[in-house]
Amino acid sequence: MSDPLYTEIIIDEARNASNEGTLENPDISQHDSNPMCGDSITLQMNVNDDSISDVKWHGDGCTICKACTSVLTQLIKGKDLGYVRNLKKEEILSELGLEYLLKQSPIRIKCALLSLKALKLGLYTFLGKKIEDSASLNNLKDEASKLY
Amino acid sequence: MQTSALSTENIRKDFPILQRMVRDGKPLVYLDNASTTQKPNQVIDAISDYYKNHNANVHRAVYALAEESTEAYEKTREKISKFLNIKNKEEVIFVRGTTEAINLVAYTWGRQNIKKGDIIVTTEYEHHSNIVPWQLLAKEKGAKLEYIGINDNGELILDHLDSYLETGKVKLVTFSQMSNVLGTISNSEEIIKRCKKAGVKTLVDGAQSVPHMKVDIEKLDCDFFAFSAHKMLGPTGVGVLWVRKEILETMPPFHGGGDMIREVHKYETTWNDLPYKFEAGTPNIADVIGFSAAIDYLSNIGMDAIRQHEIDLTKYALEKMSQVKGITIYGVKDILNRGGVISFNFHDVHPHDVATIIDREGIAVRSGHHCAQVLMERLNVAATNRASFYIYNTKEDVDKLIKSLEKVSELYKL
Ligand SMILES: Cc1ncc(COP(=O)(O)O)c(C=O)c1O
Repeated sequence: MSDPLYTEIIIDEARNASNEGTLENPDISQHDSNPMCGDSITLQMNVNDDSISDVKWHGDGCTICKACTSVLTQLIKGKDLGYVRNLKKEEILSELGLEYLLKQSPIRIKCALLSLKALKLGLYTFLGKKIEDSASLNNLKDEASKLY
Repeated sequence: MQTSALSTENIRKDFPILQRMVRDGKPLVYLDNASTTQKPNQVIDAISDYYKNHNANVHRAVYALAEESTEAYEKTREKISKFLNIKNKEEVIFVRGTTEAINLVAYTWGRQNIKKGDIIVTTEYEHHSNIVPWQLLAKEKGAKLEYIGINDNGELILDHLDSYLETGKVKLVTFSQMSNVLGTISNSEEIIKRCKKAGVKTLVDGAQSVPHMKVDIEKLDCDFFAFSAHKMLGPTGVGVLWVRKEILETMPPFHGGGDMIREVHKYETTWNDLPYKFEAGTPNIADVIGFSAAIDYLSNIGMDAIRQHEIDLTKYALEKMSQVKGITIYGVKDILNRGGVISFNFHDVHPHDVATIIDREGIAVRSGHHCAQVLMERLNVAATNRASFYIYNTKEDVDKLIKSLEKVSELYKL
């Protein structure tokens, strides 16, 4: 029996999610939730030499949320901040074959992109403390609020 | 096979929405009745007939239309009184729903009577609408909100009630007659009896009970009672607050405006008679009239037959569901102490995923916290899935549900 959304790849990715856990004293810690379905996650990162030296996440989420969060953490670990702050939603979704959610499921897309929203907001706060140029920072915040 | 207590085949013909297909041609299996019910033609037509033929404001003008609309509106009040065995129809106040009814009590009676150090008692299985208004009031007054806990079977622990009552500080005990998550039917008469003995007022949330079983307010002997039309075939935006007359007479008004006044002068106003004192502004006339048709519909079937139908269906569903791999079912096991509401979870599968998978088969169940996060905490879960039945549901609906749940077990290899 098969299902277009609940493929073995997605269920396995969620069940054996990468980087689940907690960081001690992280440089960035961002919580976010979807009140409608109850997904609730915290994304934590350490930054060294302008790149993500470590990343962990924890919380309670549905299969779609967990699978996408797992992929997101794989994509950003070890990468420099320039890449991370420009990470596009399509990159995460395509890893799991979920691009079609963008068009077809306004509800489930929120589950898929919750961790990306947390990432953008977390970076916004982190970079804000270092007084980056404010125009590009506001872009980041704007992007987070317009993800879905 | 047991014969059904009512004719679902005939009933289903009255509900146009049940004829439609969803998700690429799957017939709709609607199992979210604890949230809101579907509407029969009789209700839809009554609303449409009102707007087409009788529309005019109530309680104001003297022309023919105004007389007709006022009469139809007031007839609903009489009908509700008969339906629930209420002695004085002026104790029946139309509101937007259960939520507004409870807030009305908190803002008027509550503000007048709850003082610093007083205790308000609610329960662990309340809907947010029977928790948040009391939290607000308790904060404002420096009063305390306490909870009657539930045991692992999903029943209220009445010893908790007794220990609160012993403090002598309790002013109000407020609880739902049937839980919207577990389906537990509260031992309402016993709770009210104990409160009466202690001189404590009681509020009963009838949002889940009135649609599904016979309720006799006179016999129940509570002080406040609230329910919503949309959970019993009626339209959204209508509900009822019933208050015992001796109390209602002492309550200050809720909203100020038209219809609730007798005389308005520049600095002084006198209030209209009951119940109009509590119905400020133009009411939801069309939907009150639609609600009237819903009560007729339920009365024609009979509340005892409805209850029996749901007992049969719930028993059947519980037996079948408990055999699905990886499932956990919450709540009371004794079928006579529960309504047609079944909350469940699958091992490590999030309820939202379950709901999405079975939605593909056209099956509508609720997933989430059901506006009962205090109960979710007690059950130690973030959310559950919930299937809930009504008069138009059949054993075939249950069979389709089971089949789709088996798909969940398979996909997740449970
Ligand atoms: C037990 C209970 N109380 C109160 C409510 C609130 O009803 P309404 O949303 O119609 O105001 C509900 C409905 O969800 C309910 O199930």
